[in-house]
Amino acid sequence: MGGDHAPDEVVKGVAQVSLATDIECVLVGDESRIQAVLEGVSYNPEHISILHSRDAIGMAEEPREAVKRRDASLVVGVRAVAEGRADAVVSAGNTGACILACAKHFRVLRGIRRAALASVYPRQREHPGQDSLALILDVGATVRCDAEELVQFAVMGSAYARRISKVSSPAVGLLNMGSEEMKGGETLVEAHRRLRQFPGINFVGNVEGNELVRGRADVIVCEGFVGNVALKLIEGVSEVLYDITSAAGERRVAWRLGLRLLSRGIERLRALTDYTQYGGSPILGFEHLLIKCHGRSEAHAIRNAVKVAAKAVRDRVPAEIADAVTASR
Amino acid sequence: MRLRRARTPPTPSRPAPPLLCRWDLDKTYLRSEFDTLRSLLRTAFEKAEDKIDVPGVAELIKALKATAERRGRTALVYFVSASPPQIGGAIRKKLELDGIPYDGIVFKDQLGHIKRGKLRNLREHVGFKLAELFRGRLEAPPDARELLFGDDWESDSLIYSLYADILAGHLAAAPLTAILMRIRVDPLLVAEVIDLATRVSGRDAVERIFINLERRTPPATFRLFGPRVVPTFNYFQTAVVLAVMGRLRLEDVTRIGTVLVERSGYTARRLDNSLDDLVRRGYLTLPAAERLAAPLRATGLLSLPTPRTRWRRMLVRLGRWRPRRSKARPVTSAGALDYDAILARVQPAARHAAASGGTP
Repeated sequence: MGGDHAPDEVVKGVAQVSLATDIECVLVGDESRIQAVLEGVSYNPEHISILHSRDAIGMAEEPREAVKRRDASLVVGVRAVAEGRADAVVSAGNTGACILACAKHFRVLRGIRRAALASVYPRQREHPGQDSLALILDVGATVRCDAEELVQFAVMGSAYARRISKVSSPAVGLLNMGSEEMKGGETLVEAHRRLRQFPGINFVGNVEGNELVRGRADVIVCEGFVGNVALKLIEGVSEVLYDITSAAGERRVAWRLGLRLLSRGIERLRALTDYTQYGGSPILGFEHLLIKCHGRSEAHAIRNAVKVAAKAVRDRVPAEIADAVTASR
Repeated sequence: MRLRRARTPPTPSRPAPPLLCRWDLDKTYLRSEFDTLRSLLRTAFEKAEDKIDVPGVAELIKALKATAERRGRTALVYFVSASPPQIGGAIRKKLELDGIPYDGIVFKDQLGHIKRGKLRNLREHVGFKLAELFRGRLEAPPDARELLFGDDWESDSLIYSLYADILAGHLAAAPLTAILMRIRVDPLLVAEVIDLATRVSGRDAVERIFINLERRTPPATFRLFGPRVVPTFNYFQTAVVLAVMGRLRLEDVTRIGTVLVERSGYTARRLDNSLDDLVRRGYLTLPAAERLAAPLRATGLLSLPTPRTRWRRMLVRLGRWRPRRSKARPVTSAGALDYDAILARVQPAARHAAASGGTP
């Protein structure tokens, strides 16, 4: 029931999943509202069940207080996963509440100090066969963190990329204000030192802001505050570029013709930068997964997020992370 | 297990009225493919052995007939198909292979329409099917009750609803003519249909119309057809509704569920979800679903209840749980449906279906 377009778009997204895959979906929320939406779209009831909950956490609510409400759909869903009635949660709701609900009901993986919210974003390919998406973490589960936590983010991000992106040895970069190892203050210098010596991590050094969208690193590690700003900046720039292009076409006929010629390229660019293509962002570090979708997610984005969640469960991402953490100790 | 109160046993002097089950063929009994010209041709020349029936349908038809006969009433099974009679041999052999007992099958004389240059009639089935339904009715015992089975590819819900409303006396000849003209039925066929319609007895004989949602059409689309039309996503759902109506036994539902699990890859969870969907859509009350589910769980066909559902079941038994839909939808409708609204909605969809290769 979370998200700007809930429950309609969430239900529609799940309905699409039910028609195209064998993923078993449990919709958590007001049963009568969910059913009303379901009956208006094509769906396969064999793959959908509903877990009724009367309450929902608003996008602007204070997360710490909100997750105390046991009948809130997010809390009910997270509890269902914790109790083994489902394998992963997908939510487009309040990000803070998602993280706190996970922290409250999921067990943190052994050896992990803090969970991280990861996100995939489009980037330039440097060589053929390279994934067109990179992973950045943390983008909001933390504000500040220490060097040890940044190293753990690198371990978790590498494990996720190995499983989901099928990159055998993901290149890990540390987001910093310079490429030199002494840049960025005490925490980043220490994190750089540890990552360089860390076995099993393919550390490629510091990555600057302008290199984020290049193909140098498959996994970017940073504090939540910085990661969130960087991610939103990438999203904002791509949206503005698209708006400018559209506006240009309205001004002059010649530009419109030019844009018409470039339309396929522009559509490809738009598809590449469209967050709805990538599903959602996983919260890593717990025994179970929560895939956090954009608050504005519509059916298409929800559908992809559910697929990502199912893939992560089938590929045993939490177990991969746990193994990586154990091996690193 | 008894699912509803037993009816008064029939006296020897007055046997129970026969049950007439009318089935569409393609997409209702058979998984025929005619989305493309190639699949249409393949279907036309397919051997009986290669034809695939919709999971659970053969067991459902057999169970309907057997249950009726076990209760001392005749059950007659008829197929009405808009396919040409040239494929009749393969269809009859397929029915034989599936062990389906049937009493008649009617095909549409497509070649005759081509010869007469009535090409529009090739794709227009409302007039043909209505005429065949009325003919079948005239030949059946006057007190026969009816169950109609179709799918969401053609206009089955419209055809069957028109038929049911005429039988019930809810729809007179004049409005029927207007409806048929509006959907551009051949005027000669309209006259034939009206003639047949005026001869059938005014008896509310159609109990339910089951629509197999093969295309996964949104169930809300069928709301205009009233509670008599039951859209179902699989034949387990159909069997459950028929069991609640007293037309099937619990053992039949179990058998159909088992066939779906053993032959079509269904799981206990998928059947559970199908049952819950019927409750949410109001075709089954929660207490009826609980009564039905308990023995099915005991056989392992449905999954065992979680602590949450066990708690809910206990509350249901104690009468403390009042789900939002504690009453099932009423079956009978007070009068004729709003065919103006139905046609306004159905016709654009029909045009779209025709454009995409489907049959309107």
